[in-house]
Amino acid sequence: MSGDGHGDTLPRTGSADARPGATGEDGTPVPLPVWRRDFPYTADGEDDVTRREFVRFLMVGSGAFAAGTVGVAALTSSRGEPDGDEVEVIAREDLSVAEPHLFRYPSENDPAILLLRPDGEIVAYSQKCTHLGCVVYLDDAAEELVCPCHEGGFSAATGDVLFGPPELPLPRITVEVRDGTVWATGVQHA
Amino acid sequence: MPEGRPGATRGRRYNPASIVGVYVLVLVVLQIFLLSVALDGFHSYDAGLAWGAAAVSVVLTASVVVFERLLGRR
Repeated sequence: MSGDGHGDTLPRTGSADARPGATGEDGTPVPLPVWRRDFPYTADGEDDVTRREFVRFLMVGSGAFAAGTVGVAALTSSRGEPDGDEVEVIAREDLSVAEPHLFRYPSENDPAILLLRPDGEIVAYSQKCTHLGCVVYLDDAAEELVCPCHEGGFSAATGDVLFGPPELPLPRITVEVRDGTVWATGVQHA
Repeated sequence: MPEGRPGATRGRRYNPASIVGVYVLVLVVLQIFLLSVALDGFHSYDAGLAWGAAAVSVVLTASVVVFERLLGRR
């Protein structure tokens, strides 16, 4: 640019450094471009985001959400449903109607709840709420399994959704009593 | 540029109540909803539900890309 009468420190074009008082990354003042020196007026909307920039932000944000959702879907496909081996849970005589038995099934990462119903039936469910995975607890009085996170409720008799945001019933764990011992034998997803 | 001058435009300002604002709001809310649906599928081992949510989410993102392309022609 030397020899054109504008000097070496005055860029001819560019918008990012066109504002008076702008500084560079190292904090040093950025010289004004020639057009700004010749036309030293600013407008209120000068620093507004352009339509194209705005839509690009939107693309990036929406793309991040889509990537996250696809990632969750891929993770869901890759892990599959756990079958569950047969596991000894508790002695039948140790069960009581008032006291649910908590255990882990089919893996150590899966909390489960075993209930002795007033009619003598033994039922077991995954303790993970089918809404967002919070742990459900037994509400004795109502005979409901309640999720404290978003007020979801399931029937203690069947595991079906009674109220709240969950769409699917609790996965049921099949149980058998063998020689006075309760065994978990598998998981039934809805 | 003084206001009221003949031929003056409003430049590149956006009114939050404009249709673009509504579009953005709906888009973001839908994307959050779809992510929660996918998580729902994850927790219930329902891959179909999760992939359905993912597909809709990708389509929404594609709509933004189309929107950006259309914007570029004007």
